[in-house]
Amino acid sequence: MAKCFALMGWSLPVIESMEKLGKPYVVVSFPDFEPYAKENNIPFVSYQLNEWSDTSNSLDLFEKLQPYGVDVAVPLFEETVEWAGALNSIYRGDPRVLNRAFLFRNKAMMKRKALIGGLRVGLFEEVYNKEGVKAFMKRLNEANLQLDGEEDSWVHIKPFASAGTVGHRLLKSMKDIDEKCEDSDFPCLAESHLPGREFSCEAFINKGKVRFLNITEYVHLGYSNFIPEGHYLNSKRELIYKHVQKLVDIFGIEYGMVHPEWFLTENDELNFGETACRIPGGHILELASKSWGFDALAAFVLCHDPNITEEELDEIFPSKDYFPDNYNGNVMIYPQKRTFSKLEIPEELNNEPYFVDHTLVPPLSTQKISDNREGFGNHFGTINFKGEDPDRMTELLLHYEEVDFYV
Amino acid sequence: MQETSNRVFENFENSFLEFKEAPDFTKRDKAAKLASQIDILSLTRDGLSYLYEKSGELDQAGIFFGTAWNEPDKLVPALVKGTLKAGHPSSSFELLSELRLLAYANGDQQSEVINAKEAQNFLEEVVVHNLEFALKEPAEETRTVMSERELKKAFNLFGFIISEIDLGGVYDKLAEEIRLICEQRPIVTRKARELIRLVDARFDTSGDREVDKSVRLYINAVYKPSQNSILHQTLEDYQDFLDNANLRTLSHEADSFGYYMHQTGLVSQYHPLLLKKLVKEHPELVPNCLDLNDRGKAEWEKFHELVSTLIIEIVSPDNCQCIYGLARMLGKNLFSRRPVRVGLENLRKIKLNPQVEKRIIKSLIHPDMDVTAQQYLLGGVIKMLGQPLGVGQGNNPTCQSARGLSMWSQHAPAKLIDMIITVATQNNLIMRFENHDLVSNQLGKGLVEKLDYNLDPVSVLLVPHLDKIYNEMMKRSAGRAEDPHKWVNPAMYGQWIQLSFASCYDYLTNSILDFEGFIRIFYAAFHPDFNGDREMSYPNPVGIFITSSKGDMVGFHAISLLRIAKDQNGKARAYFLNPNNEGRQDWGQGIKPAVFGFGEKHGESSLPIAQFAARIYAFHYSHLDVAHKVNQVPDSELKEVDNLAKSSWGKSYTWNNQQKIW
Repeated sequence: MAKCFALMGWSLPVIESMEKLGKPYVVVSFPDFEPYAKENNIPFVSYQLNEWSDTSNSLDLFEKLQPYGVDVAVPLFEETVEWAGALNSIYRGDPRVLNRAFLFRNKAMMKRKALIGGLRVGLFEEVYNKEGVKAFMKRLNEANLQLDGEEDSWVHIKPFASAGTVGHRLLKSMKDIDEKCEDSDFPCLAESHLPGREFSCEAFINKGKVRFLNITEYVHLGYSNFIPEGHYLNSKRELIYKHVQKLVDIFGIEYGMVHPEWFLTENDELNFGETACRIPGGHILELASKSWGFDALAAFVLCHDPNITEEELDEIFPSKDYFPDNYNGNVMIYPQKRTFSKLEIPEELNNEPYFVDHTLVPPLSTQKISDNREGFGNHFGTINFKGEDPDRMTELLLHYEEVDFYV
Repeated sequence: MQETSNRVFENFENSFLEFKEAPDFTKRDKAAKLASQIDILSLTRDGLSYLYEKSGELDQAGIFFGTAWNEPDKLVPALVKGTLKAGHPSSSFELLSELRLLAYANGDQQSEVINAKEAQNFLEEVVVHNLEFALKEPAEETRTVMSERELKKAFNLFGFIISEIDLGGVYDKLAEEIRLICEQRPIVTRKARELIRLVDARFDTSGDREVDKSVRLYINAVYKPSQNSILHQTLEDYQDFLDNANLRTLSHEADSFGYYMHQTGLVSQYHPLLLKKLVKEHPELVPNCLDLNDRGKAEWEKFHELVSTLIIEIVSPDNCQCIYGLARMLGKNLFSRRPVRVGLENLRKIKLNPQVEKRIIKSLIHPDMDVTAQQYLLGGVIKMLGQPLGVGQGNNPTCQSARGLSMWSQHAPAKLIDMIITVATQNNLIMRFENHDLVSNQLGKGLVEKLDYNLDPVSVLLVPHLDKIYNEMMKRSAGRAEDPHKWVNPAMYGQWIQLSFASCYDYLTNSILDFEGFIRIFYAAFHPDFNGDREMSYPNPVGIFITSSKGDMVGFHAISLLRIAKDQNGKARAYFLNPNNEGRQDWGQGIKPAVFGFGEKHGESSLPIAQFAARIYAFHYSHLDVAHKVNQVPDSELKEVDNLAKSSWGKSYTWNNQQKIW
């Protein structure tokens, strides 16, 4: 068992799990959090994580963490993946651990690695300006044997290193490229549109093996998901498991958790979208904890430990033959109108047997929504549901996404 | 339902367990989820009782830790309402906080920081500050700000508190409340009766203080308007007593009933029995029983046939309140107008449209089985004609319709009856706007989403149609770069409305334009010192800014300016009808309309003219009459208005001091 975990980034739910687990840890985050940490007796090392200089670097941080006896670093957020990689390279005496961290932070590099290893990916390219995207779309049109008057092939552009859907744009035509792209988007990754049904999974890995696989059903990306997967995806669990293990092998991941996104086609082929190795958004681990009956956040941290024993691992995960009876899902609520003044919970929600709780807050007097929305951020709260039937769950989540809670 | 609520309790228990197990630093997050379940539980009585039981435990577990409610001994009663209005999650925490204090006050649970007496005092104060919730009669501002669900939560909470707490400390305040409500002589007396019932049931009112005497007057008016009504409490007993009473006794009864009704505007359920008996057997005592003035007596002499027929047909214990309306109608010689008599006769003969019938029945709480919807409607018409200033909009955003009803009943009673007959039979209404017929049944929704049926029968009948037509007129006049009311008011209310229109709001620049000029016109048109001492002949539909008790802008409201006159101190006051059932409100800056004490007629609100002027944004006038008077209004008069306006609602607008050509 690790002597001490360094949690890279500030997350109260993870700290709570560590407290409950009773394992030694120390939080590494920005100085802003220090007073709060002190007040609540949270072991804390303040560090300027957004700075890299003579006085702010992994060797220096390594020194600062020595007194705590840290021997495992755990990345909680996209932005701390390299820090954790650098520290773990030192702890494990393996410089490639850092390189692997870079792999997670560069979507083009990630795709190349997947392609070399034999995963199905779309056509992709690094682009540096609008002309580059147009040229990419043109080549894609050619490859798709476009005739005059036919629609252009869809192209996605994504920043190399951003969490989830931040900065992600779907371009459906040459015109879109002119209208939607901004100079600040570049350089970035351009890729062809992948067909298939999108879902994500969370694979907890230790010693290079997938120890536990959660599949998350995306009802509507950015709005709603539920756990475990519904009937259809469940029937493909074996296939998915194999692909995830393959990904782990290709990337050479030994410890931690990956959170890959896939597209499942009607022919049971899996296209690889991208993957991350930090805590996924959308309260996914919270839902996983509730459905599978384990502390997914604690498991996330512990998986990073090279010295954990098989018994200890078995203890934290649900048993191998267990499948949940209940589905836990959530929908993130965004106001539908531009101006609104009240939060109004509809009567139907009170009588909805699947309803559990919500975290909606009222708007500030009369609030206006600005047009800029990053990724799927800025939601006003989450509604949680729980029930036995995944189809009903899907129905509910889609329905409440449309309901206007802000009037 | 049963299963659902069990699940809610189960979810609550799970979340509560999670909350208790959480370390301090994640307790706020868990509390937020818990609050969403408190929110749901607070919608039912079951849920509230459950929360009441749990409140002490929740408090001890630290649900309020890190919030404004953490120290129960430092809470401020006056702030409770604001928090309830802020909506979930604040309102859910607030509600739970009151429940725990109730548990401490009742000794069901103990706190280390606040004792039972202190908790009791706190809650008494809270109840007094929140009678609008306790009586389920929210004020205009409250209704604008709170959602239906939040209102329901607040109603439930105060219903619960009132049923569980000893109210001793709020007696005086409630007595004052009863008096001020009744001074306004509302047509719908449900709120007054509810308060009187509450006070009668929960307090010893037998003392000798002024407040005891005042309360007893109202209690007697409703429950014991004579010695014999005390001796014969059930209606059957009282009827028996009447059947055997001699003339002398009946005369006493009539005097006593008449007295209480006149003093309070409230009618007891015994009154119909006595009145019918007198109409049939001793018509000479009817004027006493109705406490008629001289004009009323003459009217009764002349039209006793029709009036007797109406009394026999429509007066009943549940429909008793129309007796007061009838007395007022007689006192105003309304029966002397032929069109009114014809209208009432016609109304007796119609066949109600089934939809209309349903609506009327829906507005009744305990309808008398042998009284038809049509009889209730006739009773309603009599009430409205007798008490034009008692009209209220109920819990509906229909101030425009309510002030229309009030105006027609004062100045066009027969026209109003005609409209009532049309809608009662056809469930449809046509009004003309700029050469187009607007047919209410063919129009889209008005301002009302869901009508609150705590209304008089005439409003229940007409308001849905008036509301739609009004809204359609507003739509058709939108986009003309001026306030649509300029065209809508004269078309909607009729030829009594003057055609010139002044508004201080400029649509083109979205600013307040030439406010001084605007107020100058108002003073020149209506202030007796500057308009040649002329009185207003007809009500004037005026648009006002509603402001909170802090003077902040809340929204817009429609009222009727009735007259400007000097009060007993020689100060010019504006007397107006506020159709929102409650003439007394706190508009901030010390501006609190009075309903009593400055020569107000029953139902009027009043303010010193400067304070009134400081809240208006639009009114009608006649520019021909005003043109040469405008410059005679001295600047000093305008200064006060300007200051009040600028430092309240005015803060929400930009001000443009350019002079406008009016």
